[in-house]
Amino acid sequence: MTRHEIRFLKRKSQWFHCGTIIVLWMSIAPTARCLADDAEQGLLDRGAAIYAESCAACHGEQGQGVADSYPDPLLGDSTSGELAKLIADTMPEEEPEACVGEDAQAVAAYIHHAFYSEAAQIRTRPPRIGLARLTGEQLRQSLADLYARVDGVASTTPGLGIAGTYFKGAGWKDENKKIERNDPVIDFDFGLEGPGEGIEGDDFYIHWSGAIRADVSGRYEFVIHSSSAFEFYFGDSDRILINNRVQSGDQTEFRASLHLTGGRVYPIRIEFFQRKRKTEQPPSSIRLAWVPPRGIEHTIPTANLLPDWNPPAFPLQTKLPPDDRSYGYDRGIAINRDWDDSTTSAALEFAEMAIKDLWPRYQRKHKKDADEDRAKLRAFLTDLVQTALRGELDDATRNRYIDDPLATSEDDSMAIKRVLLLTLKSPRFLYPQLDMSESPSVRAANRVALVLFDSLPAESWLVDAGRKGQLNNEQKIRDAATRMVVGDRAKSKTRAMLYEWLNLSHMPDISKDAEAFPGFDSEIVGDLRLSLDAFLDEVVWSENSDFRQLLQADWTFTTDRLATFYGDAWKPAEGETGKIQRSVGDASTRHGVLTHPLMMSGLAYFTTTSPIHRGVFLVRRVLGRTLRPPNAAFSPLSPDLHPDLTTRERVELQTSPESCQVCHVKINALGFALENYDAIGRFRESEHDKPVDASGQYLSRSGAEATFNGAAELADYLATSDDCHRAFVARAFEHFAKQPIAAYGPDRLDRLTRQFQESGFNIRQLIIEIATIAASQTLATDSPA
Amino acid sequence: MSQHSTSRRDFLARLGVSAAAAHLMFNLPSLGWAATANRKKRLVIMFSPNGIIPEHFWPDEQGPLADLKRILQPLDPFKSQTLTLHGVCDKIKGDGDGHMRGMGCLLTGIELFPGDIQGGSDTPAGWSQGISIDQYLKNKLQADEATQTRFGSLEFGVMVPDRADTWTRMSYAGPNQPLAPIDDPYQMFDKLYGQTKNRELLASVLDELTADFKKVEAIVSVEDRRMLEQHVDMVREVEKELQQERKLASEKADIGHAVPDMPSNVEDKNDNMPQISRMQIELMVNSFTADFTRIATFQITNSVGGAKMKWLDINEGHHELSHEPDSNEAAYEKLIKINTWYCEQVAYLAKRLSETPEPGGQGSLLDNTTILWTNELGKGNSHTLNDIPFVMVGGGLGFKTGRALQYDKVAHNRFLLNIAEAMDHPQATFGNPDYCGDGPLTGLTG
Repeated sequence: MTRHEIRFLKRKSQWFHCGTIIVLWMSIAPTARCLADDAEQGLLDRGAAIYAESCAACHGEQGQGVADSYPDPLLGDSTSGELAKLIADTMPEEEPEACVGEDAQAVAAYIHHAFYSEAAQIRTRPPRIGLARLTGEQLRQSLADLYARVDGVASTTPGLGIAGTYFKGAGWKDENKKIERNDPVIDFDFGLEGPGEGIEGDDFYIHWSGAIRADVSGRYEFVIHSSSAFEFYFGDSDRILINNRVQSGDQTEFRASLHLTGGRVYPIRIEFFQRKRKTEQPPSSIRLAWVPPRGIEHTIPTANLLPDWNPPAFPLQTKLPPDDRSYGYDRGIAINRDWDDSTTSAALEFAEMAIKDLWPRYQRKHKKDADEDRAKLRAFLTDLVQTALRGELDDATRNRYIDDPLATSEDDSMAIKRVLLLTLKSPRFLYPQLDMSESPSVRAANRVALVLFDSLPAESWLVDAGRKGQLNNEQKIRDAATRMVVGDRAKSKTRAMLYEWLNLSHMPDISKDAEAFPGFDSEIVGDLRLSLDAFLDEVVWSENSDFRQLLQADWTFTTDRLATFYGDAWKPAEGETGKIQRSVGDASTRHGVLTHPLMMSGLAYFTTTSPIHRGVFLVRRVLGRTLRPPNAAFSPLSPDLHPDLTTRERVELQTSPESCQVCHVKINALGFALENYDAIGRFRESEHDKPVDASGQYLSRSGAEATFNGAAELADYLATSDDCHRAFVARAFEHFAKQPIAAYGPDRLDRLTRQFQESGFNIRQLIIEIATIAASQTLATDSPA
Repeated sequence: MSQHSTSRRDFLARLGVSAAAAHLMFNLPSLGWAATANRKKRLVIMFSPNGIIPEHFWPDEQGPLADLKRILQPLDPFKSQTLTLHGVCDKIKGDGDGHMRGMGCLLTGIELFPGDIQGGSDTPAGWSQGISIDQYLKNKLQADEATQTRFGSLEFGVMVPDRADTWTRMSYAGPNQPLAPIDDPYQMFDKLYGQTKNRELLASVLDELTADFKKVEAIVSVEDRRMLEQHVDMVREVEKELQQERKLASEKADIGHAVPDMPSNVEDKNDNMPQISRMQIELMVNSFTADFTRIATFQITNSVGGAKMKWLDINEGHHELSHEPDSNEAAYEKLIKINTWYCEQVAYLAKRLSETPEPGGQGSLLDNTTILWTNELGKGNSHTLNDIPFVMVGGGLGFKTGRALQYDKVAHNRFLLNIAEAMDHPQATFGNPDYCGDGPLTGLTG
């Protein structure tokens, strides 16, 4: 316990005083930079001595209480000052005047710090693997996999575009089929000429079929620009999303939004009709675009289009309340009505789909099965319930969840609804860790699916491996995780983790001064997002999966638009085709995500850079260090008032007071290293005709001081920094396992970080290890994991 | 009528009384106009396709309704509440064939957009360029707290093809915004009562859930148990709420808010039309007693609809028959029977409404509801848009009934103005203003 922490605690107690609970303080890192405060330490020592002598007899040595005198433990949320007053007025009971003034303050400070306050309680009770309900994302993913029980989960295939079949005339006639091909995207202007030879431009029909992959969960708006009639089916062959069977007036833009689940593949079909008119024939065109979460409208890229058949898929539309994020990652710990109501709606929404889609399809697949005493319906429901409850059912559970509801509902639809409502509201579904009665192997399968997919085991191989007891040692679990990590679902969860690491999910929309940065518009920002996404995917899913590439790569992904705007360093590498292409290397100005213009412009102001935003990002996210919030809300000094100063000089001026320097000495010194990148991430060597000073430094957790000049040296330093590696490992672990890593052993983080370093910083291996660690907990029988 | 509600509003405004308080204060017989102004007014637009057989439809003379012709015979019990309008024409020109314009302009009074749907003749067309009268009224009623209802409007259908085009849509929420009628009674039931049913279902599974919670609580650590206990407390809270709801619902059931019973497993197919029609009518009557809506449409098939009325021993589709010349006696006779069947649906709705007392008001539902039965064509084999059938039953709009009215080829837009006015939301024009020249038709109120 450093004195710095004591100051933290004091601050915290003031905050409690205001009725605000800031859970942020739970992870307190000792910071060497902070100066010791001898006076406070002295106060604590004095308090400890008085407590031991005059208080411990009744209250216990650690304030735990003493049965015959004062049995209640001393804990609460009064401030140290309030405690001091209480002590001065009332304690010790037989002689209240014996402990007043500084003595009372000293005892209060000691009690508060040692065991009374919430922070003290957390410190004295180390993190454990706590029970948690499904998070919103876990509920979505679990229902998506439950739906996939009947027709299977989509297999992972690369995005190759969509299959188009072109006919002359009004409909599907084999003899009129003229073109069959893969279209990389749907973006056509057929004009009056039509799509190709043998097809008249005023009378043809196109059938596009395949699937769309959603990379992350969130709301997607589909936008179809079409001058001709069309129907857009989504999720299942007969589920129509946009119906423009009639092309009417000059309406050419059609929109519909859906909440899609990340890492899921949704079958789509577009029927496109250019109909011959007696009146003036308009030209035909169609473009299939979307607005993905936090994105801008763009043509759905090839990487998200699949040409093959895929099983029907179910995107849950029920709105779910946001999850608790006070630990820095989503945790299912808030139990309230909002959440409870949303699980009811979700269960009913799923039940409707089960009645409408799953049950008819199941019956078609099992035409020949016997159906005595509703055997088929019973088998259908048993499979869904076992999958949802993540294990085989004992007789009592089977009675409760299947037989009883079946007996009371004669109507099949009603029976399905009742069984599913009961199942999906059940604690056994909502709390995945309540599978203690299952075998360790089943639980390992459950855990590995939860960690890697945010879901439950639905594929037969995993369910079977669990039930047959095959996942009974660490290596078997590792093998399963290795098989699972390369799929769309794990990829989506990884993407979300990287977004968290880069703080992208919380970055506000980027807009810049059009005068200072002509041409930097929303289209550029949109392309930058595509570029960064492609870069992250390429690094993680390439052979080496080398974390250091995220910091050091001299290449990225580019588009024609970006190449035109950012210049030669953004030219595509030789032989690249398509909209998103790998760029040429540029070792002098490009250093992975650190200098990516999306990051640089996101961590900057409207016109100028912000070394403070960049520095805070590096301190907190990349190096995993804690920072207090600023003493007050400050507006940056206006560049107009200091026309002669560089941004660096202005920031130094504003943060020069000693009270600011406590933190800004860390923040600025890191942020300045990126000053060669302006507010839209263009490389610059001077600002206001002064050469850019990009020198910086960092004092590590272990006390080692590093200096660097510019982004290249910063990147090289970070790639070798223990702090940086630990931060990434901790974030990855907590994002995937949704439990504090310390709960898996006090030295777990150190060990895993070492393993990560020894593996050549292999991100994929790290994720596999995380899943293995979390799932292997179930092998120790007395563990609640 | 509209003067009444205006003066009542002014009166309230001067008193400074809120609408809710006013409802309590003034719903007293001693204030003469209060009852009239509070009267719920409902409009049901019933549609059947492909024109009628004029000789067996229109009364021979205008004035008090004498003996009804064959097709209108089913309305005989409601003759005193029936009003026929002859000589009202759909004059909207522009793109689209007769059926398309007949359907798309019938309730909108405005042209279709140019488009790519080619009918049997004329030019291709798209959707209507304007809002339909039912949706216009819905918006007006929903904008006023006093006339707001849960749904505002309900669009019923009977065997409407699963195909969105100009022939299958007559209601429009605005230009290019056709509304799909719900032709599956089970789907309509879900829309009206699904929530209630789901709440009942939830209540029925909560006991089981609580029992299972108890079981799992026993196997977790003390710290984790707290979370589960919190969850169970919440389940109990929901349970209490649901019990309370059920109690309220059973009290309400006595005054006509009961959830209707539905026959099970009626498939959505041609031969079940009579049963589907009855089910939909029951749901409509129920939605009126619960005041779910005051505006409804009831669309039997679609423009060019080809219902095969095998239950009348007619095996040809309606549209196909409607093209036969009058000289084809067999077809002529069948068309009379087909249209009589449609009229029976109107009469059945009228009967059900007349049997149902107006909740919290005077008389029956029919006294406060006007059923407007109409068609996209005047006559099938000529595809004329002249003399569009407009037959009204009931007292919702306050017109003087028991009469046959004769107009001299007036534009139907003017009649749409009468409807707007009678529902207390008068308009200077509706649809294409060129056809609204002389304002609402005269003579409807007496």
